[in-house]
Amino acid sequence: MKYWILGLAMVVMALPGMALAGKKATTIDELAEMFDSSRCKTCHSQIYKQWEQSHHARPMMGVAGGLKDTPLAVKGATPFSPDTPEEATIETFPCFKCHLPQALTHAEDSVAVEYAKALLDKDREKIGKLQITCKVCHNYKAIVHRLSVGEPQPDTLYSTGEVARHPDSEFTSVKKSAVMERPLFCGQCHGLGPNLEFDNPVQCANLYGSYLHAYVPAGGTQTCQDCHMEPIDGKADHLIAPNFNDKEDTIARYQQALALDVQTLGYEWLLKSGHHVPKVVVNTKIDSSAGHRIPDG
Amino acid sequence: MTAKTVDGETIEMQSRHYHPQATNEMNSKMLYGAQVKVANIRDTSIQPYRTKEESFEFVLPEGVRTAEITVNLSYDVVNPDMRYNLHRITREVSLD
Repeated sequence: MKYWILGLAMVVMALPGMALAGKKATTIDELAEMFDSSRCKTCHSQIYKQWEQSHHARPMMGVAGGLKDTPLAVKGATPFSPDTPEEATIETFPCFKCHLPQALTHAEDSVAVEYAKALLDKDREKIGKLQITCKVCHNYKAIVHRLSVGEPQPDTLYSTGEVARHPDSEFTSVKKSAVMERPLFCGQCHGLGPNLEFDNPVQCANLYGSYLHAYVPAGGTQTCQDCHMEPIDGKADHLIAPNFNDKEDTIARYQQALALDVQTLGYEWLLKSGHHVPKVVVNTKIDSSAGHRIPDG
Repeated sequence: MTAKTVDGETIEMQSRHYHPQATNEMNSKMLYGAQVKVANIRDTSIQPYRTKEESFEFVLPEGVRTAEITVNLSYDVVNPDMRYNLHRITREVSLD
């Protein structure tokens, strides 16, 4: 009997971890619950508050709440669009690859159906539940070299340092990630160019490609994290600016990255003997210190 | 770049657009939106550590010898209706 109780206890203890390991959600609420990270704010309140304002907290909403995926749910609007929302599948939404990566492995097609309906209904409250939470980056996407390092463990978070005994019921330890401070980590989602693995290719962000093929060859040495997660009070800023909905801050960032110089000249151009033409020349120079093309995504 | 007379009449207006431009590679129409575009066919975006230089020139109308020049650098977040103005530099140019 003791062994039976012990066995039962072990199954119950293992369940939270198993939530990330294999179970698939059938509804948006279930998927949101599976990756819910709201309890992280108990101890990491500043980081959580920063993340809440970030685009990672609203990856399906689009800039200024534009519900960017709506065309995918509208018949005929894209090659992926189903005739009716009831026919939507996970494959209907290639954007899930980066905007909701957990859906690829942890959501049934019924989640896609519910999402398609929510897009058509402009149900922002429901769509807003779909987020790139702490668990997505610090567990699900935390290991890039999976053949070398192994899959993320269901009871482990991955970060920039180690915590032997992490006081959480689900994630009881924190291991150092080899890549979390490297551009490669961000590059998992922030794009190389066309995504040719889909039946119809799509192209979203090219930022990582631009970083690799323009910034690094130009001699740039900063990482994505250096500029976009600059520490506040010693902790990486999880706003991961810019927050395009914050006009003032976004403008300040772009002003810092882009310098504009203007030189003017007025003179009387001699086109032919005795015929002067009053001309103005305006020369402009824009210099960029960003680590990627501007604009990109 | 906008040039006006001292009375505020527009003499010249020119613009440049800096951004990657993509199609679906099946026809020549530029597309906007990650769901439908496939590959860049032209890229006029501002590249890291590479100076973007432009030269705008125009002829002053007869009788005009002074122009107020304004150069705006702006960022269209989603489309031109959501425009963030980054830099605005003004110069007066006179032939006298």
